[in-house]
Amino acid sequence: MPNAPDISSADSEGAFNDFIDDYIEEGIKNIINNIDERGLDVRGDEVVFEVDGICPPTFIYDKSGGMGGGIGRDPGKLVFSIPFERLMELVAKKLRLPNLLKSGNGRIMEMTERFKTFGTTGVILDKRRTFKRALKTNIALGNYDPENEKYDIWIRKRDKRYKLPVAEEKPKFKAVVFYVGDISFSTWGERLDLEKKVVSFIQMWVDFNYGANNVEHRFFVHDSEAHEVTQEQFYTVTNAGGTYAAPAFELCNTVARNEYDIAGTNFYLFYFGDGEVFGEDAEEIGEIIEQSGLELYSRIGITEVMPSPRGWGSCLADKLSHLEKDHSTVVRISKLYEKKKVFVTIKRLFGDEKEVNEPWEEPPEDEEEDIDF
Amino acid sequence: MIGIGQHKELEILRKRVLHYAVDEFGMTLPEIRFFLLNSEEFMSVLEKGVFPRSPTNIWEGKEVITHRNRVQIGLEPGVYYEVVQCGDPSYAYLNDGNNLVNQASVMAHVCGHAEFSEINVLQNSEKDCTERVMWLSGQVDLAQNFLGSIDYRRYWNAAASVTQFTRPKSQYNLKNSVEHDNIISEEFRVRDDAAPPLSYFSSSINELYGAGNEHTIRQRIADEERRRKQKIEMSRSGYRLKAPCEDMFGFLVEHAPANEAERDILRYLYAVNKTSEFVMRTQIMNEGWCMYWESKIMHKLFGEGAVGGAVDYCKTFSGVCRPRPWYARNPYHLGYVMWQQIEEDFAKGRLSMDYVNEKNVDVRKQWNRPPAGNPIDFMRHLVRTITDFEFLRRYLTEELILKFHLNRIPVHEAERMRIPPEMILKYDDEWLWVVPEGIKEKMLGNFTHFGRPRIYIVDSDYRSEGGLLLYHRDDELGILRQDWIEPTLRHVSKLWKAPVFLLTYDSDGKGELVSLSKQSCVREDYPTYPTFDEVRKIIRTGRNFE
Repeated sequence: MPNAPDISSADSEGAFNDFIDDYIEEGIKNIINNIDERGLDVRGDEVVFEVDGICPPTFIYDKSGGMGGGIGRDPGKLVFSIPFERLMELVAKKLRLPNLLKSGNGRIMEMTERFKTFGTTGVILDKRRTFKRALKTNIALGNYDPENEKYDIWIRKRDKRYKLPVAEEKPKFKAVVFYVGDISFSTWGERLDLEKKVVSFIQMWVDFNYGANNVEHRFFVHDSEAHEVTQEQFYTVTNAGGTYAAPAFELCNTVARNEYDIAGTNFYLFYFGDGEVFGEDAEEIGEIIEQSGLELYSRIGITEVMPSPRGWGSCLADKLSHLEKDHSTVVRISKLYEKKKVFVTIKRLFGDEKEVNEPWEEPPEDEEEDIDF
Repeated sequence: MIGIGQHKELEILRKRVLHYAVDEFGMTLPEIRFFLLNSEEFMSVLEKGVFPRSPTNIWEGKEVITHRNRVQIGLEPGVYYEVVQCGDPSYAYLNDGNNLVNQASVMAHVCGHAEFSEINVLQNSEKDCTERVMWLSGQVDLAQNFLGSIDYRRYWNAAASVTQFTRPKSQYNLKNSVEHDNIISEEFRVRDDAAPPLSYFSSSINELYGAGNEHTIRQRIADEERRRKQKIEMSRSGYRLKAPCEDMFGFLVEHAPANEAERDILRYLYAVNKTSEFVMRTQIMNEGWCMYWESKIMHKLFGEGAVGGAVDYCKTFSGVCRPRPWYARNPYHLGYVMWQQIEEDFAKGRLSMDYVNEKNVDVRKQWNRPPAGNPIDFMRHLVRTITDFEFLRRYLTEELILKFHLNRIPVHEAERMRIPPEMILKYDDEWLWVVPEGIKEKMLGNFTHFGRPRIYIVDSDYRSEGGLLLYHRDDELGILRQDWIEPTLRHVSKLWKAPVFLLTYDSDGKGELVSLSKQSCVREDYPTYPTFDEVRKIIRTGRNFE
């Protein structure tokens, strides 16, 4: 009987996984632009994708014509998963996002265990090491001798090796993210979709940087008053009242000071609205940010989502642009008009400082004027 | 993975199976090497084209992941029946999840495949086929080192676009379509027994006054000039197209400008894919042949008590041979019942001209005359001489369509297909039967194109810039998928390393020429879209396209 030929698909599977990594990297912008309020399909620690048509193109009949097909090659959908961490690394690489700065180093520590060494007693058996030791022992004892057709391997207690944990102190970073939404104008349809996409990404990005268990996400809405709500209510509550955003910023500051250890917590604030403010609102917001926000928050992001044409109000972004210019490490302002520019907003909110030099997005051509009243 | 010799019970079964196959039933078998695999290895072998080894490529990895996902969510069974790579020797892979009776049936089934490959008219069995592919696989791994991983992957992916256009058994394969300059054409060969023809430059009075009028002389000069140009063309490139070439991938393997590393990739892919045409053209006969011999051998094994579990085996067998409608025919079922029918008909003398000419229905029903020979010998003669098309054309009658349930459709599918009322024979809650007329023609029609576009190479020096002209034959199956034409042409161009053109037609039936060069892909009207016969004539007469 001839020697058994070699069979292994590991090489090609690895090549395919590399190909998928490249494919995802190329399509990261598309993935971000199509995130919905559920985020991506995360199962356990992996993100599940469905991808169309990963198949070499060839000459086949057009099935949509009705008569073609038969024994054709239908690429269909391919479902595969990659670790969540890996996806966020690709996102960071593609969009060139620096990791979030973390403060509180050395203040709050947590104990972790790492398995760095091995011993003869323990709980978690290291099978490979155990087998290797047992094999050596049995060879020495003559139990395992293929030349003489002896194939016994006995595992003794002293051959067993266990993984031993070593306790380590690791600084624990904590973060709180405040999301503030303007519900005074109709936030529905495409405007709501765009808001959801940005919020979803922010949640994933901060979770990635700090660890999901170390982040709290809190939601606030305002019309002429500010209220804290749940995440579901953040997307569903609407009102047709007046707009007064400054109280929402005040409320966030109050919550941060009263409910958290400021020294050991990283705060983030992201505001979403149509950008139209009235009276002295913009100036008040500017004062709140300058007096306390710059010290308190690691990042303040203000996003105008499908900004309305101005009635008798003023543009929040224009009024606060000096803050972005002078304090770009903390304050970022962006305008978002359409789905395919979500990744541009992400880059502006989280990218490095040279992103601030880019001009704001302009409305796309042929955009219809909103009918206000 | 282990050789079957290391498993005592399976080794005994193998010997019994081969005893019945060779000694008792007289099957013509090459050496068959059996191996035992677990399910992961099985999946891996399937994706390697039933070869033990393959080079690194992303498409196999994708298929492995797809299969694994589908098994995990229950869309596919995790246990596969058998796979075999026919050749001399043949390699058969058994799944270690099968019980003994299944393993025995698999071995018997493999014997059927091995014999069919060995004796069929398409001559699929090749000496050391698996070993050659394994050697090519090693060469391709070296090629990857030579080309670098990026270029290697790109070239492989380009070649993967055209592997399905491998047609070594076609009427228009390489041998019949391409003439090489080391073959002296009959036109230039001087036969010893023939008197040399008079040249029109001869001073013979017959030539001057009787050989023909001016038109004939002009025609002869034109023909001479055409042959001279063909000879020049052939000596320049080493070959000449004398007919449309359907084996597009084979042509690229032989004649595409490629370095050694690239050539090895093409050769490997060609070697792995060239059996697919054999499978397409003979699947019904092949699988039916295997089921026929499997049942015979298993009867013997049950009879002598070599295996038990006859009832379970019958359940498995009937599941494999479940009838399906004509558009989704089950080759195992159709082939098996047809071979049984042929054996019975031959044994009762019903395959004779006397029976065909008998018009009396009662006489035909009672017909039982001595056969003209041994039915098995007759069946082997069919295997040696025909493929599925002729198999169905000769022996599939309307009575058999009814008998084999080829006209029976599940009701829910019939609703989706919107069968017109005049086509319905009868129906109940579960099934609907259509009239059998026309079903055979539909089945036969599929054997010309198998539902795939027929693309031919018709010019290898189009527009005198070394361009490759492809011709899409109109089989009345619609237009090509438009968004895949350009990327496919790019892949072909990557292999051909020159512009590539595709002559096809649009949804209105008007001719269209898609041209791909380095800069761009351009579509232009081609008003004089030729039929296939016109294409053959253009090539034969040495004219240019356009």
